[in-house]
Amino acid sequence: MPIAEDILEALRLELRRGTLILAVLGTLRAEQYGYSLKTRLSEAGVEIDEGALYPMLRRLESQGLLVSEWREEGKRQKRFYRLSDDGAGALEQLTAEWRAMNAALNSILQEGGRT
Amino acid sequence: MTDLVERYLASVQRRLPEATAKDITAELREALEGRLEAKAAELGRDPSTDEVAAVLKTFGAPAVVAARYEGRMHLIGPVLYPWFWPAQRTAVGVIVAILVVLSAIRALASDNPIQTVLQSLDNVLGWGLSVFAVVTLVFVLVERTGDPVKLAENCWDPKSLPREHIRKPRSMFESGISLFFDVLFILFWMRFIPFPNELPLRNDASVAITLSPAWSVVYWPILALAVLAAAGHLHDIVRPAWSRLRSAMSIVGYACGLGVLWVIFQGRPFADVQPQPGTSPEELERALRLVDGVFLVALGIAALVWAITLGVEVHRQIKAGRVPLTGVRTAM
Repeated sequence: MPIAEDILEALRLELRRGTLILAVLGTLRAEQYGYSLKTRLSEAGVEIDEGALYPMLRRLESQGLLVSEWREEGKRQKRFYRLSDDGAGALEQLTAEWRAMNAALNSILQEGGRT
Repeated sequence: MTDLVERYLASVQRRLPEATAKDITAELREALEGRLEAKAAELGRDPSTDEVAAVLKTFGAPAVVAARYEGRMHLIGPVLYPWFWPAQRTAVGVIVAILVVLSAIRALASDNPIQTVLQSLDNVLGWGLSVFAVVTLVFVLVERTGDPVKLAENCWDPKSLPREHIRKPRSMFESGISLFFDVLFILFWMRFIPFPNELPLRNDASVAITLSPAWSVVYWPILALAVLAAAGHLHDIVRPAWSRLRSAMSIVGYACGLGVLWVIFQGRPFADVQPQPGTSPEELERALRLVDGVFLVALGIAALVWAITLGVEVHRQIKAGRVPLTGVRTAM
């Protein structure tokens, strides 16, 4: 029986949720404002709605992983985000975690393919 | 920024915690400006209203966007929660309003109006709680069985967002109190409620006050204006946000109200006083001056308040008209 589209969509969302944070933290090693961050992510193949991106940025900032400041650029006030020191530390640990998990998953998925 | 963007931002802002609302909205404004400028560059012209609406649609429904900032998770999830209280307000408000009107009618027909009103309160409370429970149950069912995010995104249209940036939505309490006094006035004006009109003077003497003939000329206009005001306040309970139509209704109401006041001012004195047994001509004259003075002050204040409110509403109409429907290069 084929899996229902809504179940697959829910699983896809769950799978993406954690990786999006990693993608955002990784991109913010260099300073970005909201729109430029979304564009960078999109160019890298990571799509995220603004409606989800901005609340995430705020949450990460409130957790101390990001710092932000309002600055004028191109005659417009923009809020620029970058990784804080704590954020850089967290990114390093999460990246190591991601790589280990990725290797483990590759191994599991390849074994599954062989049986 | 365009009218649609202002309406969208105001709609998000209203749903955010006050401490962070302005900051979050400023950031969303910057993000929308970026998106619309990119869209304009892509099109080689300003985006049309439909194109602006399409950009807003990709940002998400205001309630959903605001809920993501709050992250509230209870019996009713963050997506449905912003609709929960407006739905309760409307459902409970309508049932309570109907029961209050029915109780008022029952009280008028009763020999003991106060006791009838007190008995009705129990009924109003019971019905109010029942409706609250049913609405809560419906929300819980939708939360558990439906797809709230998809539902919310499908249910909104950027072009039908109210203009909350022109005026904050009226509170249900404010509208409810206004409606109560409107109904009370209508019942009094139609003589369903007797009004004490005896003014006591010294030594058991008194005078009876009646409205002067000038008022009978404007009897129907006053009744029509009171009904218009009641209809407006009932509308505010259901749709508390500012709209051009509701504002136009207020402008017509206040302008006509000022016209009615002008007619009444032409027919001064505002009231007649009839002597009761034992009232001297001097006392009668003094009472007439006192009553006329009270009416003069009260109607003068009403005229001033209506004129100011009329001016404010006209200003809001002009302000709403100034925000362009399309375009991204026009700054507010």
